[in-house]
Amino acid sequence: MKVRFKLNGKFVMLDLPGVERLIDLLRERLDLVGTKEGCGKGECGACTVLLDGKPVCSCLMLASQIAGHEIVTIEGVAADNRYAHILNAFEETGAVQCGYCSPGMIVSAAALLARNRHPSDNEIKRALAGNLCRCTGYSKIIEAVSRAAERVAQERK
Amino acid sequence: MISVLEYLRPEKLDDALHIMGGGEHTPAAGGTDLVLQLRDGRPRKILDLERLGLDFIRNAGDIIEIGSLVTHAAIASNPLIAKSLPVLSRASSLVGSLQIRNRGTVGGNIVNASPCADTVPALLLYDAELVLKSSGGTRTVPLSQFVLGPYRTSLGPGEILHSIICRKAEVSTGWSYIKLGRRQAVNISRMTLATSIFMNGDGKIGSVRISAGSVFPTPSRIPRIERMLVGRTPSQELYRQAANIAADMMIKESGHRWSTPYKKPVLINLLTRALTEAQSKLIAGMVS
Ligand SMILES: Cc1cc2nc3c(=O)[nH]c(=O)nc-3n(C[C@H](O)[C@H](O)[C@H](O)COP(=O)(O)OP(=O)(O)OC[C@H]3O[C@@H](n4cnc5c(N)ncnc54)[C@H](O)[C@@H]3O)c2cc1C
Ligand code: FES
Ligand code: FES
Repeated sequence: MKVRFKLNGKFVMLDLPGVERLIDLLRERLDLVGTKEGCGKGECGACTVLLDGKPVCSCLMLASQIAGHEIVTIEGVAADNRYAHILNAFEETGAVQCGYCSPGMIVSAAALLARNRHPSDNEIKRALAGNLCRCTGYSKIIEAVSRAAERVAQERK
Repeated sequence: MISVLEYLRPEKLDDALHIMGGGEHTPAAGGTDLVLQLRDGRPRKILDLERLGLDFIRNAGDIIEIGSLVTHAAIASNPLIAKSLPVLSRASSLVGSLQIRNRGTVGGNIVNASPCADTVPALLLYDAELVLKSSGGTRTVPLSQFVLGPYRTSLGPGEILHSIICRKAEVSTGWSYIKLGRRQAVNISRMTLATSIFMNGDGKIGSVRISAGSVFPTPSRIPRIERMLVGRTPSQELYRQAANIAADMMIKESGHRWSTPYKKPVLINLLTRALTEAQSKLIAGMVS
């Protein structure tokens, strides 16, 4: 089946066999390996991508379902200047340890900051509740996201 | 790897119903339950319902009609639903994580019929009726008769759930929604209670609705204690009495099981709390 969609800002046309999940398409055929597979069951959020701007689990979607939609992966977020503060803040605060959860966390954080410029700690926690981290204990991640939000706010002044 | 033989995404409802009539296709909504089922099952032909315009929320007098493809995120952020179906709003906001709420739909939640489906006890409170469509026509079934047991419904072959019709809550009702236990947790520790209370001017209970998930063999209202509470003056004592009756009904209907010594006191405490919470919301609402 021929499928047209937007991927990280560019239109793409692909012939899909229909046996893939979105995460398989991204990692195995398109070589976008920044998106990780943890649980494969919608529980860990390592596979989070943006579907029309909203965080979703790419392990729970069929690749064919993205026809006509826009997908942004961690590669797209990382290349987008608007989100540079998030990546920097994650590095500075030590919010990255083994790093397996980081792409998904950053994608979820990007979606949050795009709709809420001044998130409270609780709003950050709620937005990241679908992203599990086994290493950091979350406090550094929350610190990173609120630091990124502050910087974005300052720049806009 | 998943096993999909064919993937179709028609743009017209008639086309979709015609394809469903062939009896070979499995409907897909958000896929949050289905994609996992496709991983180890036999290959299936998939009919994606996304493009059929079923993601509407319609306000019509006393009722609100919700398209089956409306996501939990859309329900939780809809102001009309927050006002007129507050328990549904709350239940949807508690589903999984944001990623799950962005894809998971109310229709998929109902049709999948997991005993811990969050929207079901909430919708039962609002006398939800399901509009089911097939190439043969349309029928309407009360939600209370649709779920037959864990993961079992009366959805007919070739049928899709089109929409859900809910009766709005009276203005100024107090309500509560209590969810106990995680989805993956063993059945014993799960329980969901939804309540709403409407008080008369004389301080007596005018009407009350109570529904429960993972208590009886299917998610259901508890009409016996609803009737018992009407016209009474609310008190902890009264709520506890009602909760005790509910617990006896649970044992009668679900049988005495190894989990009963645990579940009985939990239900009594939780239901007492649920009713108290609903009433306190009402009082808070009146003052402000
Ligand atoms: C990590 C995780 C956490 C979750 N947490 C919760 C939770 O807290 N509470 C909760 O209630 N659920 C939870 N779920 C379950 C799931 O997300 C919900 O049940 C969701 O609402 C299912 O909707 P869907 O659109 O994704 O359905 P799908 O997966 O697309 O479909 C589910 C089933 O329903 C059928 N179907 C779907 N739509 C229709 C229709 N319109 N007509 C006919 N048949 C249809 C499909 O054929 C399939 O059999 C969770 C799931 C995951 C993976
Ligand atoms: S890999 Fe998708 S949520 Fe864990
Ligand atoms: S840094 Fe290791 S899982 Fe989060």
